Amino acid sequence: MNVSSRIPDNSQPSSNQGRFLVRFRLGFALLAPVLVVVMLVAVFPPDGNERANWFQFIGRFHPLVVHFPIAFFLLVPILEIVGRSGRFAHLRLSVDFVLALATIGGTTAAILGWCLGRSGGYSGRLITQHMWGGVALCLVCWGCWRMGTRWRKLGAAYAMVLALGTGLVAWTGYRGGQLSLGPNHLTEQMPTGLRNLLGVKDDREASVPIADPNTFYGARIQPILSARCISCHGADKHKGNLRLDSYRASMRGGKDGPVIQAGNIQGSDLFRRITLPAGHDDFMPKGKSPLSVDQVKAIELWIGAGASDTLAVGGIKNAPPAFTAPAEVKFEEIDPAAAVKLRAAIGPAVAQLQRQFPSILEYDSRSSADLRLNASTLGSKFGDRELDAFAAVAGHIIAADFSRTAVTDHSAAAIATMKRLRVLRLIDTGVTDETLLHLGNLAELESLDVYGTQVTPAVLPMMAKLPRLAHFYAGQTRIRPGGSMPDSLSGKLVF
Amino acid sequence: MSDSASAMRSRIPVDLEVTSGSRTEVKRALLQAQTRRHFLRSLGGGLGTVFLGTLASNLVPSAKAAGSETAALDFSRDPGTPLSPLPPQFPAKARRVIYLHMAGAPSQLELFEHKPELKRLDGQDCPASFLAGKRFAFISGVPKLLGSQYPFHQAGQSGQWISDRLPHIEKQVDDICFIRSMRTDQFNHAPAQLLVQTGNPRLGYASFGSWVVYGLGTENQNLPGFIVLLSGGKTPDGGKQLWSSGFLPSVYQGVQCRSHGEPVLYLDNPQGVSRELRRNMLDTIDDINQQTYAAFGNPETVTRIAQYEMAFRMQMDATDAMDIRKEPDSVHAQYGSKPGEASFANNCLVARRLAERGVRFIQLYHWGWDSHGADAKEALNIGFNDRCREVDQPTGALLADLRSRGLLEDTLVVWGGEFGRTPMRENRGGQEMKYVGRDHNPGAFTIWLAGGGVRAGIAHGETDDMGYEIVKDPVEIRDLHATMLYLLGFDHHKLNFRFQGLEQKLTSVKPARVVAEILA
Repeated sequence: MNVSSRIPDNSQPSSNQGRFLVRFRLGFALLAPVLVVVMLVAVFPPDGNERANWFQFIGRFHPLVVHFPIAFFLLVPILEIVGRSGRFAHLRLSVDFVLALATIGGTTAAILGWCLGRSGGYSGRLITQHMWGGVALCLVCWGCWRMGTRWRKLGAAYAMVLALGTGLVAWTGYRGGQLSLGPNHLTEQMPTGLRNLLGVKDDREASVPIADPNTFYGARIQPILSARCISCHGADKHKGNLRLDSYRASMRGGKDGPVIQAGNIQGSDLFRRITLPAGHDDFMPKGKSPLSVDQVKAIELWIGAGASDTLAVGGIKNAPPAFTAPAEVKFEEIDPAAAVKLRAAIGPAVAQLQRQFPSILEYDSRSSADLRLNASTLGSKFGDRELDAFAAVAGHIIAADFSRTAVTDHSAAAIATMKRLRVLRLIDTGVTDETLLHLGNLAELESLDVYGTQVTPAVLPMMAKLPRLAHFYAGQTRIRPGGSMPDSLSGKLVF
Repeated sequence: MSDSASAMRSRIPVDLEVTSGSRTEVKRALLQAQTRRHFLRSLGGGLGTVFLGTLASNLVPSAKAAGSETAALDFSRDPGTPLSPLPPQFPAKARRVIYLHMAGAPSQLELFEHKPELKRLDGQDCPASFLAGKRFAFISGVPKLLGSQYPFHQAGQSGQWISDRLPHIEKQVDDICFIRSMRTDQFNHAPAQLLVQTGNPRLGYASFGSWVVYGLGTENQNLPGFIVLLSGGKTPDGGKQLWSSGFLPSVYQGVQCRSHGEPVLYLDNPQGVSRELRRNMLDTIDDINQQTYAAFGNPETVTRIAQYEMAFRMQMDATDAMDIRKEPDSVHAQYGSKPGEASFANNCLVARRLAERGVRFIQLYHWGWDSHGADAKEALNIGFNDRCREVDQPTGALLADLRSRGLLEDTLVVWGGEFGRTPMRENRGGQEMKYVGRDHNPGAFTIWLAGGGVRAGIAHGETDDMGYEIVKDPVEIRDLHATMLYLLGFDHHKLNFRFQGLEQKLTSVKPARVVAEILA
């Protein structure tokens, strides 16, 4: 009752001269804090350092306060529009008052926001945009208010300023939402149908560089960091100057140095913080639920095993099986255009060979330019001369099977040019030690199969030098189980 | 359609049976058979077809327009070479499959599931909680619990439990991955076998092998891509539907080969017919089939042409591949195979020979594992022993042989039945039976895999102390299928075929999970 009886009072012109002076002084008195905010933001921007003090305590009230000026400001265009009709003309009398409240509220919120940004450990694009948006909004409020009743009647310019202000509210508010809820908080849970209709990309995972899913880091660690950490320590927001959205950034650490000490679980700040009680000052993720027992265990295993990004999923000895198997299989999407591009250099040669030798040369997968050659189905119809025809694509062949073909030692050089071979099968062929001694440069060879050939133990020292060799199938050869062999071959020979 | 086909044939005045059937003669005959009426009909009909063709391209929804998120995989091939190889969707660990199906469902409790608690309670009444709400094929009233009939021990470096019935497989245990928590929703043999082999308990669906050959083709064009071998005895209850191509083109169905005598019946030329004459005959038949295809456009006609051609090529290669007499005695000793008879051992040896020759999917069926205990043949302490003996040595030899030849790296071997067996002794009609046996248990059973990108020397999943129900990591049949397809390089959603308005797939419509825990 009190308020409603005062509004008409306020609007009644009592003494124009006195009112103007009061308003003038009040108006410029309010400009001072606005300018202070501009200065603060310009001179002391958030720098990613966390300051646990009064500033941060006060700053935490920013989200609480900020919604009032937003509502006040958005009320202004409503009052103006509705007030155009004669029945509600009296509403326009409140505009002045509401704008004053918006200016005061906005400035307060901006000061609190600066306190939070400066002391809360924020830095990055989002916080900068959010802050300047807020500051600009304060100026717009103040400006509208100061324009006075007379100027506000200049329809188009005023309407444009209000529209600009409304747009600023939306933009700044969205940036603020991104800061507190994550960069894609509005579209994150959008139903797939609507997402397709609007063409919104599902970037829940795509925003993070994909790590190799066959590594422990890629399969187990990065998913945890992506789900629990990168909303504050990611590309858009890096609290404490720490980013956890890539392996390199994670290992670089934050403002206090590295947070992960390879092999030293207790010395790793990241591990210390995620294992603190949830109420502790240093606890992470701050203000959110603690990581699950399994997630903590995975990180512990990973740091303990050297925090590598190349360690294979199953590479941690004595780890519970649940931690060494990939959590869930992800299916690769196929991009036919990319495959065509990848194959551009060898495509015609491959097509020609596929016509000449049907069914024995195929790409490794739908999206790959790697080739598999299986000549074994042709038997003795395939020999050294036929193998020569594949010289143009030799560098792309990753698996070759010449079992039971007429291939001989004359092809040794041709096979040696297949530098990316991972699997080579020469079962029941006429090749001898000579061919094998040519294979020293096959740095990627993992599996070599000479079952049923005349290969002798003389090749073993050479085989021991192949860096990736995991299986050497030497059954039915002159190599016998139990014979002397280089140490590095132990466990790799299969009979 | 068949009416007009026969009408057309009757107008051809040349009797193909009598002449040598040269191609020119057939062509001349066809030309003579063409009348003015044919010309006018094809003229009018042809124009109409051209018009409809322009409409049709707008009417038929393409895969992309249907709102699918990514482009469907293209499995189209030249109709003349329907089995030509295609690359998998993504790089694959497994290049081929040898599936050893133990029809009748072997008892996991006598082979792989070590349950000392069940052994302790042997002979006691089954608790009521085991029976509430359950349906059994034969058990009635309150059956007795039945401990394992055979002792268990840990084997290999991996220390996995196995019974004393499988001494040869035991030697390969470090290459084996047991899934102890398999589950099915079928408790009769035929539908359960269909579910395991086609992903669906009803008739009419494409079998696993058909899907794989449809998706990947086969490396050896002189042999079928999907070969089925039965070890004599009884045909599986699911019948030939188990290797049917269902709605897929019939060229992808399994080809049943015999392990003795002619591998494929009527493959050899009859007496007095030379290979050259056969070639001439096939060329002529091809021409006629091509004309039929041009007239009616039925893709099955192309399938027929391709099958004739494959049969011709197979005359040489199939006979050679199936002829285990070419193997040395040491190999026969290893497998326990005897040329000239139908046995699981011979089939295992043939399976290895086919795997070497680039056959994509090799399906073996053994029989007689339905150990109810109703007679001696199906008693756990009599017939079951024989089954173990029949499969143990050849299976062990197959694994060892594949491993020493390096083929286990990219050959996925699967061994298992269609469901499990109960921890209760079967009491048909509520009476104690003369022989010891177990009833069907769809709730838990064991299947094992080896090679082809599977983690070696592990066991996945767990059942309760009785081996009755799964307590950890259940694996549905569709999960197993999705996992196997993953090893072969496919996302199980993407290996599909549009039929009856649905993108049909092996794993059917319920969500399936790739069992990541068993991947190497």
